[in-house]
Amino acid sequence: MTHQLKDGGQVLNVGMLARVEGEGGMHIEIRDRQVVDVKLNIFEPPRFYEGFLRGRKYTEPPDITARICGICPVAYQSASTEAMETICGVTTTPEIQDMRRLLYCGEWIESHSLHVFMLHAPDFLGYESVLEMAKDHPDVVKMALRLKKCGNDLMELVGGRAIHPVNVKVGGFYRMPTVTELERLRPALEQGLEDALAAVALVATFDFPEMEQDYTYVSLRHPDWYPLERGTEVVATSGVRFPVAEIPRHVKEFHVEHSNALHAHFDGAPYFVGPLARYTLNFDQLSDRSKEAALRARLGVQCRNPFKSIIVRTVELAYAFEEALRIIDQWQDGHAPSVPVAPVAGEGVGASEAPRGLIWHRYRIDADGVIEDAQIVPPTSQNQASIEADLRLAAEQWVDLDDHSLTHRCEEAIRNYDPCISCATHFLDLRVTRS
Amino acid sequence: MVIGLGQPDRGDDAVGAAVAARVAPLAGPHVTVLTREDPTALVQSWDGAQIAVLIDAIVSGGEPGAVTVRHAGVDDAPLPTDAFAAAGRGGSHAFGVAGAVELSRTLGTLPRHVAIVGVEAATFDHGPMSSHVVAAIDDAVAIVIAELARALSDVEDVELDEAEAGASSCA
Repeated sequence: MTHQLKDGGQVLNVGMLARVEGEGGMHIEIRDRQVVDVKLNIFEPPRFYEGFLRGRKYTEPPDITARICGICPVAYQSASTEAMETICGVTTTPEIQDMRRLLYCGEWIESHSLHVFMLHAPDFLGYESVLEMAKDHPDVVKMALRLKKCGNDLMELVGGRAIHPVNVKVGGFYRMPTVTELERLRPALEQGLEDALAAVALVATFDFPEMEQDYTYVSLRHPDWYPLERGTEVVATSGVRFPVAEIPRHVKEFHVEHSNALHAHFDGAPYFVGPLARYTLNFDQLSDRSKEAALRARLGVQCRNPFKSIIVRTVELAYAFEEALRIIDQWQDGHAPSVPVAPVAGEGVGASEAPRGLIWHRYRIDADGVIEDAQIVPPTSQNQASIEADLRLAAEQWVDLDDHSLTHRCEEAIRNYDPCISCATHFLDLRVTRS
Repeated sequence: MVIGLGQPDRGDDAVGAAVAARVAPLAGPHVTVLTREDPTALVQSWDGAQIAVLIDAIVSGGEPGAVTVRHAGVDDAPLPTDAFAAAGRGGSHAFGVAGAVELSRTLGTLPRHVAIVGVEAATFDHGPMSSHVVAAIDDAVAIVIAELARALSDVEDVELDEAEAGASSCA
């Protein structure tokens, strides 16, 4: 809704954002063609997960935190298992790591194919939703559904369920899939890789608004591969790099009045996590085929146009298929599904790259493995300041558009982030005083 | 085909899977019984089927446990997809049953006969189903079987008509 203020000002208000997960809105105020106020309003109620975890056993976070999100549960499971294993001084086997990466590929495939085609592509092709888009582009939507099914099938086989997997535990898995079961997925995954490469070429033909932002990108980094299920350090375009364990020293969360999700600063300033950050900070770690697809799509080795995040997601989609096939190629039966993890008192951090960006968990447990403190920092809450910065720039840049077009352009700027508002509103800021 | 939709650990959302489990041994060998948690999976799951009966928990303002049927097959009226466009409603990332049905209609994967058997839910919290919904399972199972029988009868009538038409044209 748009309305004019008595003093000549103009307010763009979208009470409920469309094609995002969760409940949020936006408010932009313009006076004398200057943007004077921008708010990403997240009014989905807080969900108190950090509070639920206190007093629970150290083995429970993979199952409890997976329920935070139906689209990126594996991100929560990976970060929580890594944190607990770090605290307890346990290193898992390379095979367990491979299987975690395969599960994570399933999540990326499922999430990216949903966002790219069902939620984001309609913005570029001029449709209100994928329903209208499907009438004119049925083959594209059918391809999207094939891609998404590959992700669902991987999640179901490795994780035990397509949504909220149940096969993940601290120390590994309850059960490993067999070579025979994995090989059944191969034909669909091979087709999926071809489809994903075609998708890179397709989305590269979209018209992209000219808009570049000088964000501080922050991402995980691993010496051997593009970061998904873990990294050895955190890197930023500011040049800062440090081990994962030091994230809480660099990232500070704080509350703002208009959001039920905590905002966050990195070394005292707003920052950006997500596909654009991962890509820009880890382009060299992509496979040759994915790099080639990206360069053919004229992405360059870094990307600072948030609207082009749709291309980056398709490149990551192709990479996830390549990785899934690579892991299946080398898989053999007979590996132990888990290693024992005995509780040790201490504090630790685990991090992974959710489809929407860096997610990290910090836990403190006692000698019996009881959780004394928990902190969960998902990507959407970290990106709120960057989203608001994009809204401000978009409103300034396209201030001459009519109200409807400007509002739509600003909504698109939010959807560039594939925000998951339900994830962002899990925090607990509740004090009980007893006398 | 019978599909039970919903999250089995989210209170009354488990009713789809619970009814599907009860229908499976009653439905006969030619009826495929599935459970799905993700509505987008419907678009492909029922591709090629002539008949689909979908069971899901609903919130329509009715009495908890009330069972209603809505037909959404090829010749039925489209479902309102407002829920699809609204944020956070009707499924993760705003993709719910109505979206899946209408997307299937557009892509040509919608079965000729689709019956959506909705059981009015009281709770979607983690945990067991409410007593209202548990008490409604027998009714829902009977309605699913009746919908299957009705749709099968329609299909057989159509096939018979087509066969007779074919026979008369040959003559």
